[in-house]
Amino acid sequence: MRYDDGLSLAVQGRRTGAIYMWGYCAEMSLKAAYFSLTLSDTDPIAWTSHLRPAIDRGRNTHMITWPRGGDGHNVRAWAELLVAERAATPGRALTPAISQEIQACGQRIGELWNESLRYHNNLAYQHEVTKVRLAAEWLLVNLDSL
Amino acid sequence: MPRKKIEVQSAMTSAGAGLVAKLAAELKSDRDFGQPLVYEQEYATRKSRVTVIWDEWADASLEERSSVILRAYEQAEGKEARDKIALASGLTVPEATAAGMLPYQIITGLRASDPVKFEDVKAAMLEQGASELNKEDGLQLRFATREEAEACLKRLSDKLPGSEPIWIISRDIHVYDHLTITDSVNAEVK
Repeated sequence: MRYDDGLSLAVQGRRTGAIYMWGYCAEMSLKAAYFSLTLSDTDPIAWTSHLRPAIDRGRNTHMITWPRGGDGHNVRAWAELLVAERAATPGRALTPAISQEIQACGQRIGELWNESLRYHNNLAYQHEVTKVRLAAEWLLVNLDSL
Repeated sequence: MPRKKIEVQSAMTSAGAGLVAKLAAELKSDRDFGQPLVYEQEYATRKSRVTVIWDEWADASLEERSSVILRAYEQAEGKEARDKIALASGLTVPEATAAGMLPYQIITGLRASDPVKFEDVKAAMLEQGASELNKEDGLQLRFATREEAEACLKRLSDKLPGSEPIWIISRDIHVYDHLTITDSVNAEVK
């Protein structure tokens, strides 16, 4: 749904808005995949009981570079956490090609997107819009395999 | 009806290809000092996570750095070694320092009366992997652990006889370390 909202914004020439939507879409795909892997209950995801411990685990167990500001929304770090957690879980490791692509999608989006983008009034370049769209698209298309 | 297949583009530039060859040579060399610093973390599943700290990354994107690391492992150690790596990250020394990954640093307390010259000290530090990338901070010779810093200090002292007193190991204390310490103290008081 949010992916389509991004497309609507892109066709109106509202490129920064489109990037914002697709980045959000990628963030949610990665978090959904991570918590599907690590949680067995159906409790709603909360900051103190789920997100904060996951970030701490990324930093301390998997040595992921996870900057403090806006850490709940760092798409690059969430992508790396997902790949690392799958690699560390017996029988759940992703193939090398898929691992690399998830990390690359996180890196591409992470270069151009952060949650504070909603406060910006600049206009992104077309090639930046394409880069984020393709990465978000890949994550969505492959959501079942993440 | 036009029907076109779109191939996935490779992120590797020609500069990246040069870095692959350079990193592969470093991996084969087994040198135990200097840049790059390579940290390999192996999980129980035998998959691993590799972090390469190297100032040569300065002009490369994060994505290109990851691709370079994977290709370099494949070149140096074969496809199996490459496929074992689940996650590959490249950081420069200043980036790794900012991320808190290199808290130990060797600094110098050089005086005019010391038996070694500044030029020799600088050359020895660069040989051991000091970073010059961030000009404002000067030479940064950094490590993840105290053991690594102590081993380097010994190599520096061996390289420059009489220099032992000038080398100092310092450790960064971040505001978050302070908060953690304070929290622990408060918890104990309660």
